[in-house]
Amino acid sequence: MSRWRAIRLVAGREIVERGRSRGYALSLAFTVILMVVGFVVPSMLIGEATRTSLAVVGQAPSGLVPSLTATADAYDLQLSLSAVADRAAADAALRHGSIDAALEVPGDLSTAGELLVLERAPASLQAVVNQAVIALRAGPAASEVPEVSALEPPTAEDATALIFANAGIILMFIGIFSYGSWVLTGVVEEKQSRVVEVVLSTVRPRDLLMGKVLGIGLLALAQLVVLVAVGLGLSQLLGRLVLPTTTIGAVVQLLTWFILGFAFYATTMGFLGALASRPEEASIASMPVTLTATTAYILSILVVTGDPNGILAHVMTFIPPAAPMVVPLRTALGAIEPWEIAVSIALMVASIWFLFVVGARIYSGAVLHTGGRIRLRDAWRASR
Amino acid sequence: MLEIAQLTKRYGAVRALDGATFTARRGRLVGFLGPNGAGKTTTMRCVFGLATPDGGSVRWDGAPIDPRVRLRFGYMPEQRGLYPRMRVAEQLSYFGQHHGLSRGVARTKAGEWLERFGLADRAKSKLEDLSHGNQQRVQLATALVHDPELLVLDEPFSGLDPIGIATMAGVLRERARAGVGVVFSSHQLDLVEEVCEDVVIISRGRVVAEGAIEELKARSGRRHLEVEVAGSGGRWTDDLDGNTVLERDGDRVKLLVDERADLDALLAAARAAGIVRRFSYEPPRLSELFMEAVNAPQPMDTGAATDAATGGTSR
Repeated sequence: MSRWRAIRLVAGREIVERGRSRGYALSLAFTVILMVVGFVVPSMLIGEATRTSLAVVGQAPSGLVPSLTATADAYDLQLSLSAVADRAAADAALRHGSIDAALEVPGDLSTAGELLVLERAPASLQAVVNQAVIALRAGPAASEVPEVSALEPPTAEDATALIFANAGIILMFIGIFSYGSWVLTGVVEEKQSRVVEVVLSTVRPRDLLMGKVLGIGLLALAQLVVLVAVGLGLSQLLGRLVLPTTTIGAVVQLLTWFILGFAFYATTMGFLGALASRPEEASIASMPVTLTATTAYILSILVVTGDPNGILAHVMTFIPPAAPMVVPLRTALGAIEPWEIAVSIALMVASIWFLFVVGARIYSGAVLHTGGRIRLRDAWRASR
Repeated sequence: MLEIAQLTKRYGAVRALDGATFTARRGRLVGFLGPNGAGKTTTMRCVFGLATPDGGSVRWDGAPIDPRVRLRFGYMPEQRGLYPRMRVAEQLSYFGQHHGLSRGVARTKAGEWLERFGLADRAKSKLEDLSHGNQQRVQLATALVHDPELLVLDEPFSGLDPIGIATMAGVLRERARAGVGVVFSSHQLDLVEEVCEDVVIISRGRVVAEGAIEELKARSGRRHLEVEVAGSGGRWTDDLDGNTVLERDGDRVKLLVDERADLDALLAAARAAGIVRRFSYEPPRLSELFMEAVNAPQPMDTGAATDAATGGTSR
């Protein structure tokens, strides 16, 4: 039998057995609910999408205000309209925060005009303004919409990207640990029930470990994909986040790093878990992993976010336990070279392979050991 | 044929195997016997690659055993283990597939074995919801589901009720008749004597006796003579020389005699003491051969030792 078939069988068992367990369904449902609440509640409290103040600059063409009011009603947007004398006054009001946006349309309707905002235009307001101006300017150029000018434009996308990367890293950290601990307890349970002896009479230890990590990893990935999809869907629906143009790339990168990070950490937890003889000991056995990951996570949030081009950020890019958190963060902040990503991924893949080879030996020595807890060195020796 | 040759294995200071050598032929039920810690489980684990011997070889049908060959073996480890929360039929099918069966065939075979063990209605139950005996049946089915050429079972009878023992023995016998090699360890020597054709006795990592049970018995110089003389109280043997009394129970006496003993003279001595109700001459039990082979102190002597003797040999 080919080794790949054995790995697939092991992975398939994990997916079927755990996928239909109540635990998986509950954790999926719970995180989705958490996400929905996290998106919906703030937008309801802030009410950003439904109440907006817009100032019309200078001499507006006749019909603009009625058109805006009508469209806002149609869109169910509470629009409070005011007037300012000129652009300078509009700028001042925007910076002061007394208005959300200002609309300047030439009296002769020769152009579609300009929508002035501080950072970015709320999606609902933008839709209303566009619609109103198009309706007013019947004619060949009618499909033109007012140009959006932001007073402080660059920060808008950056902020969204940063929020996105941070949320991604939190999801990644939670995902790696909740599903990594499934690998951990799964290994201990197999050892404790002694079923591992039956399995290993036909399956090589490395293949068993790989199959486990693969199967549980796919379940974790499925959950992450659902969460990201729900998150993106909600943010579009509620107009809370204007997604940066790099969204697809960021999602792909997030998923890639999740896969790499999960493989790295789950493999380590798998063979460290084999050292324990009871589930209660497993968390002690996996302590080094937990500490490493937490340190990497905190450093990413504190240091890399603040100084994505600093020495520490550069160094951590090439340290496999930290890379899954540091690289997506630096990418989101636009502070990483493509070659750095490539080298980081290569290092990550190499270290995962190394972990499988070394880990499988420790795993097979430890998992066939009966009695109490076994030390790393003894497990290494026991297997050959 | 399974050939174990010069197997050695150390665990730290403990010498688990010390040149163990034996063969187990296809089509024969082989009992693998030895005191606790003699090396039975270690030998079995070496066959399945769960332990790597320091020296020696394990061969099947003349070729060294590799992972591919091992797929045609079935194993039941001493410490039972299956997935507690997995459904019974799926569990069997899973292990069948690991032994190279396609999913369809594995499912069919799983169903057949569950039927055979009377567990067809429990196919969808979780293993942990089954009784101990039924879990043991599933464990045996796990070793059988892929029609292995060699079955190696560590203590398959322990913990089974008489019905379970009969089923297990029946299946093992049937597999052996089908040309499968069957090796199992056990401490239930009377059961082994009844079920097996061959035995291998291992002690302190070395094989101390091996062969067909009948031959081992015949080769042993020991014979048992059981005599019952009405009203004698068994004391008539007190004047005999060169024979050891193994048991004395009222008028009944069990003697250990040499195979060259003069039976006529013994019968005459018994007759002189009273009416002879029973005079039976038999080879030793397997349990006695076992004690002799592993150099355990023989239960001997007079009346008081009776209980100890039966207790000590039937374990």
